[in-house]
Amino acid sequence: MISVILALLVGVAFGVVLQKGQLGRYDVIVGVFRFADLTVLKVLVTGVGVAMLGLQSLRSLGVIATVPLPATHLAAQALGGVMFGVGMALAGFCPGTVAIGAGEGRLDNVVAGSLGITTGALVFGALYRRIVPRLAALGDLGQLDFARLLDASPWLVVALYWECALLLFYILERRRARSLQSA
Amino acid sequence: MSVWTRRAWSPYAAGAALGVVATISMAAFHKPLSGSGAWMQIGGYLGRAVAPDNLFFDRVVGRGFTYEIALLVGMFLGALASALASGSFAVRMVPDIGWRGSVLERWLVVFFGTALIELAAGIAGGCTASLAISGGGAMAPGAFVFMAGMFAGGIPVAWWVSR
Repeated sequence: MISVILALLVGVAFGVVLQKGQLGRYDVIVGVFRFADLTVLKVLVTGVGVAMLGLQSLRSLGVIATVPLPATHLAAQALGGVMFGVGMALAGFCPGTVAIGAGEGRLDNVVAGSLGITTGALVFGALYRRIVPRLAALGDLGQLDFARLLDASPWLVVALYWECALLLFYILERRRARSLQSA
Repeated sequence: MSVWTRRAWSPYAAGAALGVVATISMAAFHKPLSGSGAWMQIGGYLGRAVAPDNLFFDRVVGRGFTYEIALLVGMFLGALASALASGSFAVRMVPDIGWRGSVLERWLVVFFGTALIELAAGIAGGCTASLAISGGGAMAPGAFVFMAGMFAGGIPVAWWVSR
């Protein structure tokens, strides 16, 4: 019972953060693909970076032994990613933010989104045996992270990631300041 | 104006908070944040009714009030409370900004778009929350392959839609 309440609380925090981050909005999600609104990119890059830093700190301090690590299947993740992006640019949300839009009173999310996502799940289930084993075998790197792939310290990976992220944010904010000045 | 009643946070603040929530989920529950997982389960209830011996619906997806379902319910409640607090809540049939077509067109696009998204999440083994953010936080190369694919697929479609 307590674990259910705690899980719900994680969900509530997740929902608040995405709603305040404006990720329930159609124009914000589609805007990132048109380079008109880079909110999604900034939230995504910061979120990944903070999770990386948080998890690696907890591991280094010995608080946790392992991190749930998804396996890397290059073909499946590249193909799935492209299809996912196409759908996201059409609908303007993803499986999680459908709930954010629903919480904002968007009936297109609640009705069409719920029906569409459930249909997608049914189609995937029907195709599961035929496509998953074949695709997973193409470019299967297994369960490894960048530290093992590069044979480097995980902290070096964190540092390199943040160096790229901060450079990206610097370029984005300088560009934004310039466009505000000229407007 | 307090943090709670503000309509929007800076994307960096929202991103940092999202990273903390992902860290808590993965460190305390050993589970990634997820959106697509709960929907696979919901599909599973229907799928077992139609095809009881389907491997995926029978063996792979979870049943009952799992962590993923709790997350999805919590997300809705959190977004509802947050939207009400800032006055962003409004019942609407189509997006108020950026949509130029009819209601029927919007609902059809959403239906096909979201069906494609969930199928894609199944193929990739995760979505924006479980693979991109949580997997990225775990430094999985697949998370970055997925994100690159997401932009490669989304950019041409968004430009085509907004012609």
